[in-house]
Amino acid sequence: MDESETLGTVLKRRGFSRRSLLKFAIAMTSSLALPPSIAPLMAANLARAKRRSVIWLSFQECTGCLETLLRSSSPTIDSLIFDFISLDYQETLMAAAGTAAERTLREAVAANKGEYLLAIDGSIPTKDGGVYSLTGGRSNFDMLMEFATDAKAVLAIGTCAAYGGIPKAHPNPTGAVGVEDLVTNKPIVNIPGCPPVPEVLSGVLVHFVSFGKLPELDDRKRPLAYFGTTIHDQCYRRPFYDQGKFAKSFDDEGARQGWCLFELGCKGPVTHNACASLKWNGGTSFPIESGHGCIGCSEPDFWDKGSFYTSLAGGSSTGWRNAGIAAAVGIAGGAAAALSARRKPGAEPAGPDPEKPDPDKQP
Amino acid sequence: MTLLDFARGIGLQAAVLIMIFGLFWRAAGVLLLRRRPQHASSRASLIGRIAGGATMIFSRSIPRRTFWRRIGVSVALSTVFHVGFLAIIFGGAPHILVIHQLTGLSWPNLPKGLVVIISGLTLTAMIALLIRRIAHPVTRLLSTADDYLTWLFVFLPVLTGILLSGETVAGYDTLLALHILSVELMMVWLPFGKLMHGLLVFASRGAMGFNFARKGAAT
Amino acid sequence: MTDLSSFSDAGLVDALLMEVAGMLDRLIERGETATVDLRGLPLSPACIADLESRLGHGEISVQLDAAGRSDIHETGFPGVWWTRHADEAGRPIALLIEVTTVPDILRADPADMADSLQRLAGATHFASHQHARHG
Repeated sequence: MDESETLGTVLKRRGFSRRSLLKFAIAMTSSLALPPSIAPLMAANLARAKRRSVIWLSFQECTGCLETLLRSSSPTIDSLIFDFISLDYQETLMAAAGTAAERTLREAVAANKGEYLLAIDGSIPTKDGGVYSLTGGRSNFDMLMEFATDAKAVLAIGTCAAYGGIPKAHPNPTGAVGVEDLVTNKPIVNIPGCPPVPEVLSGVLVHFVSFGKLPELDDRKRPLAYFGTTIHDQCYRRPFYDQGKFAKSFDDEGARQGWCLFELGCKGPVTHNACASLKWNGGTSFPIESGHGCIGCSEPDFWDKGSFYTSLAGGSSTGWRNAGIAAAVGIAGGAAAALSARRKPGAEPAGPDPEKPDPDKQP
Repeated sequence: MTLLDFARGIGLQAAVLIMIFGLFWRAAGVLLLRRRPQHASSRASLIGRIAGGATMIFSRSIPRRTFWRRIGVSVALSTVFHVGFLAIIFGGAPHILVIHQLTGLSWPNLPKGLVVIISGLTLTAMIALLIRRIAHPVTRLLSTADDYLTWLFVFLPVLTGILLSGETVAGYDTLLALHILSVELMMVWLPFGKLMHGLLVFASRGAMGFNFARKGAAT
Repeated sequence: MTDLSSFSDAGLVDALLMEVAGMLDRLIERGETATVDLRGLPLSPACIADLESRLGHGEISVQLDAAGRSDIHETGFPGVWWTRHADEAGRPIALLIEVTTVPDILRADPADMADSLQRLAGATHFASHQHARHG
C-alpha cells in the first residue's frame, strides 16, 4: 500500500462514495456519543487520513481478544478502516514468522517512531524476571518497555492487558499485571472486557484517525462513550428488576419469562461496559439476553470477587468452623465474666431480708 | 480491592464472626448470672408460667392507659420505627435473598415501592425520636453515647438502603458498598450496646412474665 | 410476558417535540441546522414509534443505498426530517431527527462529483476527442 495514500483514495478504489463515508461518520458519532453535527468534520478528516501504524503485541493471553476483533466476511467501511490503519505487526495474523517477523517489527517501529499506536493484549508476567511469557526469547516486560517508548499511545485491549485479567487471579503465580502498572509516561487507553466489545476498538481507532487524539476517558482510563454507564442502566430486563420480578433458578418460570437475573448472581449493576446496548456478534445477543447473569468481565479482578452465582446482596461465608470458634470464644468470655460477677459480694439480686424490718413499711 | 469487594468479602466475614462472638458472650454472661432463689411454691403450672412469659413479651409493648397522654406520641413514633424497620428487613426482596442464600428459606416479598415508602416513614420517625431525645430535658440528661451511637448505627443502614433502592446520589457500587458496610457496623455493635435490647427484650420480658405468673401476678 | 416495548412516555415525546420546534425556529431565524441523535436518548421502542407517528410523513421519501440502506423522509413538518441508517447487514446504525432544508447526506459531495465528472467524460465521445487532440 502506498504510504502517502489517504483513506479517501482507498475507499474510492473500493467503490465507496464520500456519501457512504459520511453515513459511516454519522454512525460513529452516535456510537462515540459525540454531537451529530461533528459527523461532516469526521468524514472530511477520515477522507484525508493517512495510514497510521498499529503495532500489536500479544503477551500472556488466550487470543480471545484478537478473535473477537477479526473482521467478518462482508467488507464494511469499519473493516476497511481497520485494514487501512493496518496492523504492521501482529504475530497471529501476519504471514512472517521467526526472524522475518522480528525484522518486520523493527522496521515498523523505525518507520513510525513516535507516531504508532501500540496495541497490547494479554497481561505481563513480572515474577522471576518475567520468564513465564517469552517471545523469541525476550520477556513480555522487556518488549513492552521498549516498544512503549516510541509509541504515541498504548491501547490495552482486553481485561488481561488493562488490569491483569485471568492470569492475575489469585494466587497469581506469574506475578501478572496490566499495562498501566508498568507504563506510566504514555497515554493509555484501557479497552477491558473478556473479551472486549469489538465496536469499542473501532470507535477508539476512528476517533484517533479522525481527530488525532484519543476519546475522553473515565478514571479507569476507559473510553467514556462506551464505559460511562453500567450494564444495569442499559439492560432491557431493567423493568423486571424495578418491578421485583426475579428468576430464582436457571430455567425456572421466571427465567423462561426473561426476568431479571440479579438473584442468580448478575453483576450488571457494578459493571461498566457497552454490551447491553452494542451486544456481540453484530448485535446478536449478550450474556443476560442469553439467560446468564453478567460476570463483570470488564472490571478489575473480577475473577476474585467470589462466585459468579452469589448475588450482589450476598458475600463470602465464614464457614461453620470459624463461626463455631467465635461462638466458643464468646461463651468462654461470657462465662468468665458471669462467674467473676457471681463471686462478688451482692451478686444475688437484693430482696427483703426476713430478719430486718422494712423501713418503708408501717409496723 | 474496591470498597465493595471488602464489604462483601473480608468485611462481611469479620463482622459476622465478631457478632457471633459478641452474642454468645452476652448470652453466656447473662444466663450464667446468679438468680434469686424462689422459696415460695409456684401459683402456676410450668405451662402457665411459659404462657405468662410469652404474654408479657407482647403486653409490655402497650403502655398503660394512664400514661398514654404523656407518652402516646413517642410510643406511636417508636412503633412506626420498629414495625417499619422489621418490615424492611423481612419484606424487602434483597434481604429475603440474603436470608435465602444463608438458610434456604424464602417467602414472598413486599412491593419495592411500598418498602421505599416504609423506609421514608421509618427515617422520619427516627429523626423525630432523636429530636425528642435531645429536646426533652429528662431524656437529654439520661442519654449516653451508647444511645446516640445505637441510633446512628441503625439510621445508617435505613438511609443507605433507601438511597440504594433509588440508585441516587452516588454510583450503584458505592451505594451498595456503603449499605453493606453500614449493616456490618450495626452487626458489630449489636452485642455490645443498647441495640442488644432487640434480642434481650424477649429474654427479659419473658423471664419477668415467667416469674409474675409464678407469683400469680397479672402479665 | 410483560410487553416492554408498549410503554411510551408521552411527556418525553412532548419535550422532544418542543425541542425540535425550537430548532426549527433557529433554522428559520438564523439558518442554523440541528440534529437529534435518538439512539443517544433513553427512549423505548414505543416512544420512538410514537414520536415517528406524531411527526408523520410529508411529501418526500428517499431510499439511500450507500454502504447499506438508509431511509429518509420529510415529516409532516417541512424542515423536519426523519433519518434511519442501516449498515450492509441491515443492522440499524443511526436514527436521527434532522432540522434542515435538505439533509446533508442527500447533497452530492464535491469529491464524488469530481469523480463522476472524470467517469462521465471518459464515457463519452468527447473524451476520445480530447485524447485525440492532446495525444
